[in-house]
Amino acid sequence: MNARFVQPVVIQRFWLVAFMATLALLASCWAASPALAEQQLTTASLDPQQIILGQSTTLTVTLTGSQPLQFNMPQVEGLEFGMLGQSHRVEIMNGAILTSTSLIIRVTPQTAGIFTIPGLTPQSQPLILRVSPDNGSGASGTARSSTVPGALLGTPNAEGIRMAADGAAFVKLVLPKRDVYVGESVPVEIEVGARDGFARPNGLPTLTSSEFTLNNLTRQPENYQKVIDGKPYTVFTWHSEIAAVKPGKFTLSLDVPFTVRIRTRPSRDSAIEDALGDPFLQNFFGATVQKDITVSSPSSDLAVLALPTEDQPKNFTGAVGQFSIASDVSATAAAAGDPLTLRLHVTGTGNFDRVDSPMLEHVDGWKTYPPKSSFKGSEATGKGEKTFEQPIIASKPGAQTLPGLDFSYFNPTTKHYETARSAPLQLSISPSLADSSLSAPQAPAPTAGPNKSPANPPPVGLRPDHATESDSVGTLVPLYARPLFLAIPALLALGFIGTWLALRRSAVSRGRSQYANSKAINRILQDLEAASRARDATLFFNIARSALTGSLAARWQLAAADVTLDEVDARLGNEGAEIREILALADEANYSGHEMTSTDFQRWIQIVRDQLTEAPPA
Amino acid sequence: MTRRTSVLSAITALLLAGAIQPALAQAPQSVAASAVAGSDAPPVATPSSYSATSLYNLGNSYARAGKPGLAVLNYERASLLAPSDPDIEANLRYVREGAHLPVEPRGRWQRVVTVGSPTLWSLLGVLGVLLLGCALLAGERYPAHRWKRRVAALVGFVLLGATAGNAVVLWPTLHAAVIVTAATPVQVSPVPMGDQLFTLPEGETVTITAEHEDFVLVQTATGRKGWVARVNLVAVVPKRS
Repeated sequence: MNARFVQPVVIQRFWLVAFMATLALLASCWAASPALAEQQLTTASLDPQQIILGQSTTLTVTLTGSQPLQFNMPQVEGLEFGMLGQSHRVEIMNGAILTSTSLIIRVTPQTAGIFTIPGLTPQSQPLILRVSPDNGSGASGTARSSTVPGALLGTPNAEGIRMAADGAAFVKLVLPKRDVYVGESVPVEIEVGARDGFARPNGLPTLTSSEFTLNNLTRQPENYQKVIDGKPYTVFTWHSEIAAVKPGKFTLSLDVPFTVRIRTRPSRDSAIEDALGDPFLQNFFGATVQKDITVSSPSSDLAVLALPTEDQPKNFTGAVGQFSIASDVSATAAAAGDPLTLRLHVTGTGNFDRVDSPMLEHVDGWKTYPPKSSFKGSEATGKGEKTFEQPIIASKPGAQTLPGLDFSYFNPTTKHYETARSAPLQLSISPSLADSSLSAPQAPAPTAGPNKSPANPPPVGLRPDHATESDSVGTLVPLYARPLFLAIPALLALGFIGTWLALRRSAVSRGRSQYANSKAINRILQDLEAASRARDATLFFNIARSALTGSLAARWQLAAADVTLDEVDARLGNEGAEIREILALADEANYSGHEMTSTDFQRWIQIVRDQLTEAPPA
Repeated sequence: MTRRTSVLSAITALLLAGAIQPALAQAPQSVAASAVAGSDAPPVATPSSYSATSLYNLGNSYARAGKPGLAVLNYERASLLAPSDPDIEANLRYVREGAHLPVEPRGRWQRVVTVGSPTLWSLLGVLGVLLLGCALLAGERYPAHRWKRRVAALVGFVLLGATAGNAVVLWPTLHAAVIVTAATPVQVSPVPMGDQLFTLPEGETVTITAEHEDFVLVQTATGRKGWVARVNLVAVVPKRS
């Protein structure tokens, strides 16, 4: 019973001790690991150590220890280092845990030679890489490095194309002539071919010779597909011009930078990838890497001739080509002082950058200013039109003639200097606005005052200012719109109307008085007629005496009783004889009964009428 | 009767002399604050005096400076003082044509009644009133000279009618204004945020028919109406304080 119970206890103690020992071992390993890690070791190996230019090799750097990686990529001129990957490894050796990290670096030489990769740690040894130039039997990477100038390899094929040694690209320069003049624009055609998937140009072609200039090339050239030696190529074409800057014999070629894919393994090791053909698949299998190279065109020899000095025109500015000119002016009729624009059009083919003209410099009657130029056309082909615009101002009125313009150039076809001349321009200049306004007072102006415009004003534009000041007013409101002035005709009208009304009223009153008098006279005369018919002399003369004394009393402002014979004699004298006779006969008739015939009655009636009409009764 | 007429004539002569003198000899006044009718922010100051020559030359200056609105304004003002000046009319037409504004030639009647300045026609109108009045009174006083009275009355009537015609022709100009800013908006209501009806080009001449605060109701030559901010136009005949 006891043994049965003791045995499990022993077993439990054993496992407890083992567990504690394991913990102690792990704790000791954990405590010892920093000491091991501090001793970081670095080893490096290069495989292979000898390659051909265009191939790559692998540099493996192994770092031991668990410290964070502190690795700087080596720097060696002529070698390119690229990280491919890294791996980690953990080993337990004699209870010690060893960790290591391996870095895999691709090393690509840029040129042939022997390169020394310095030791990555002070204790490590440097590595030696031998790169031999490609002899054509190995890999196809034959283009020279972009950093190392050199001649092209390979020979021109049947089409005159000298391919880069690896067959990835080519550059071709087509020159139409080999003898050119200094400054002459020579059209050239540049063809750059890049094998599809293997190369692509990453820059524009540039001349290798500084004795020539190349016009600006477009970044979007014409391109087309072409099969060369059974391989597809994309061919880019530029049409441009070159010009020599100095005489002599020179060699001309073009450089074009490319980015190409080159093989990283020998051809014998990449037979499968080559069989695949597809660059994508080749790249997928890691058979190629990118590389920048420069491809040059075959050299061309050019003889640059100097321009002849004999018969060189004075106004020659270096234009070489074939040109024609024409001139015009912005307006053929203008006023003196108005700005005009004289234009010179130079068209043709040649080096337009040297086409220049001073235009008009000193012309009598004109003020000239420096011209400006603009170019329309293709700099690549050298064809176009250059226009010079010169501001000019006429200072004198009248018919003016602008002289023709000259332009001299060297014609490389005829090999002589030639001068083109434009036709003179006729202009009609009228007096300026300012001159017109100033000269108008002296000029005869049959239809206008001294401050008016000339008899023949300019057909267009503003008429000139007036020189003579006119009368000033304080306001633009017309007189008849001002209340103060309107009072004048209003008062005048009122005055006239009032006066007229007064005159009319007096005339009416005067007419009424005359009317009343005439009625009284008529009534008296009717009474006299009645007395005459009755042959009543007493009544007749009493009526006559009463009418006459009343009339005289009113005229003399007296009472009727005061009009006596003596008063009549005193006031009228001899002129009152008839009145006195009537008054006497009236007294006589009252007492004697005077007898009268009808003729006598009519005579006395007429006398009374005359007296009453002359002095109407009151 | 004769004494009464003489007294009336003397009073009339005194009134005439006293009224014409201040009306004709207006001393230059201070520069008004506004050339716009009632505007507080005018673009153009009102000068103290006007002359046809200075206004015409000022219009030329504005025309050369490429400001058709102010050029038209000054030409219109100059034509008020010298309506028969061919240069003013020609330059006004030139500027309007240059600004693509309609140019309406003056009719024969307009040419006749505007052959003289408004000032001249004002005086001739007064003379016409005098002739008419004298002919009226002479008819009462001297009935024998009938033909003389009739000729005098006819001349007076013609002068008075021509003056009235001149006033009728120039009346729209007296209430006209010129747009002095480009593409002036014409609104449906006299408020700053009013809806826009159309725009008026610079140099357009409009007739002011009403005013409200900072806006004036204008009518174009084609009959369109709308409210325009005062700052965008200048009255041809500025109101004087």
